[in-house]
Amino acid sequence: MFEDHEIMSTIEMVKNENLDVRAVTLGISLFDCISHDLLVFKKNIRKKILSHASELVETCDRVGEKYGIQVVNKRISISPIALVGACFSADQMVEIAHELNDIAKTVNIDFIGGFSALVEKGMAKGDKALIEAIPRALTETQRVCASVNVATTKAGINMDAVLEMSKAIKKAAAMTADDDGLACAKLCVFANIPQDMPFMAGAYLGVGQADAVINVGVSGPGVVKRAIERNMEGQRLTLGKIAEIIKRTACKVTRVGELIGREVADELGIKFGVVDLSLAPTPTVGDSIGEIFQALGLSHIGVPGSTAALAMLNDAVKKGGAFASSHVGGLSGAFIPVSEDLNIAEAAHKGYLTIEKLEAMTCVCSVGLDMVPVPGDITVQSLAGIIADEMAIGMINAKTTATRIIPVPGKKAGDKVHFGGLLGAARIMDVPHAHLEDEFVTFGGRIPAPIHSLKN
Amino acid sequence: MNKLIITVLGKDRPGIIAQVTTDLFDLECNLENVNQMILQNQFAGFFIVEAPKGLSPESVQADLTKRNNGNGLTIHVQTLDTVTQVAGQTPGADIFLITTIGPDQKGLVSRFSSIIASFNANIVNLKAVFKGGSDPNANIMSYQVAVTQEVDAPALFAALREKAEELALDIRIQHRNIFAAINKI
Repeated sequence: MFEDHEIMSTIEMVKNENLDVRAVTLGISLFDCISHDLLVFKKNIRKKILSHASELVETCDRVGEKYGIQVVNKRISISPIALVGACFSADQMVEIAHELNDIAKTVNIDFIGGFSALVEKGMAKGDKALIEAIPRALTETQRVCASVNVATTKAGINMDAVLEMSKAIKKAAAMTADDDGLACAKLCVFANIPQDMPFMAGAYLGVGQADAVINVGVSGPGVVKRAIERNMEGQRLTLGKIAEIIKRTACKVTRVGELIGREVADELGIKFGVVDLSLAPTPTVGDSIGEIFQALGLSHIGVPGSTAALAMLNDAVKKGGAFASSHVGGLSGAFIPVSEDLNIAEAAHKGYLTIEKLEAMTCVCSVGLDMVPVPGDITVQSLAGIIADEMAIGMINAKTTATRIIPVPGKKAGDKVHFGGLLGAARIMDVPHAHLEDEFVTFGGRIPAPIHSLKN
Repeated sequence: MNKLIITVLGKDRPGIIAQVTTDLFDLECNLENVNQMILQNQFAGFFIVEAPKGLSPESVQADLTKRNNGNGLTIHVQTLDTVTQVAGQTPGADIFLITTIGPDQKGLVSRFSSIIASFNANIVNLKAVFKGGSDPNANIMSYQVAVTQEVDAPALFAALREKAEELALDIRIQHRNIFAAINKI
């Protein structure tokens, strides 16, 4: 039996606080599809994906309807194409991307992730072909997402790959200049990429995973913000108490995700993998991470105190999630994607949030420089430098970091860009010293893995 | 087996349950289930007892009424039918919480419960609060409905949604497990 307040608070979370299941992502292994013949390979992957995913959207909608919680995005992650398609050339990789795009349309999902390579220690033939193919693949398709892991805590940073990715990003932006470099919004460069993440653009199915698995991404920044506001009404709370409120709220939200994920997995006859409780915003008022900072008494995200607030938020979310489910994975933390969050985009536009502060904040949160539009004339070297800096944060701190930077062709700091849908809109962030052509990133080789003792 | 169900109604005050259960104890009745609720200032209590063989519901009612003469309680006793299966209470039924929020109008519960009944779905719990006024949260109905496999659930939910729209009510239909997941740890 439920108390009135339990019923009302649950309804309130869904109705007014934008609680939803952000993504149900079906991971599918493609290792049994491998062939040296491109036609056979394409046929195999189509058959394999359709055999698992043909009912995905329908099932998610049905389960969502049953519980009154919308499953916003249904997605697929696959084994890294650089591995399963290692024998193919860059042109053939582009053909594979087209095939994946068509399959995504057939099963009616918005994104398929896994046009990916893992190159933290070096690039094999397939990896090189895939990276070469990325700009064309992301330009000519709409639903394919690419990611490249260039660093890990145990391997160090592959600086050759960092430079290659900087060039690929610049090229992808140039090829989609008419759409403000939209291709780059589907491309992440990672350190310590998680194998089971349900969120795009970085989702792929790792090599240690099951043949097919359901991973669920739950969001809910609006729920967290309202929980803080409700508890602060008429009283001042210490930060310890606020952290406790965030933790409890995160726990509730995670349980929703697990309930829905498990039921979808059961109905599809597929293993359930993990819940990724990440506070992921959308460009909707009331569904924003930036607004949580304001609920915490900061005038804008990016002002002094923001890193401490984010550290507390990120940790409380992880603790709540870990208590709610034994299978928490992916990123599980707070995202601060600039263009996808109306409030963060505004803080950046008004000068409260600079790219340097954003980078500092990524030391204590999930992901990294996410959906950051920068001037189109940034040099390859400066862009590679930013990527390397972000990778170093991940490598040293043994955490995931990533960049999803969009150098918008023909536009400069302060200009407006619009990516549409969940990708949102923002003003281009100023990048100091973007025109430098410093040699550091061109030396190549690997930055060695860090020592694990003597930590300070 | 001589199971009786005793219903007690009256203005709420301290001591009603103590009085009734003491009386039942005196009559050598063994309590099996008790439930009570208070609506505004009215007490309603339900007592299921195993009564001694040969003790009729009429004599229990007469005895209890006599003992409580003058304290404003209405007492009714009848034999409990434990044989007939209640429709909709079959094990394995899914419980859905159907909540409506919106302006008070006459006949709301009647309209919605009639739709639920017409699909042969059983209401296992209903709470309704109508305080009037413009605060939407002051006018709420919350039904817990057992939906068995025989019930055409999509058609039932569609009919309820249609009625809610007609009456300008916000309606939510959600499986109970979502409330359990969020509120019960």
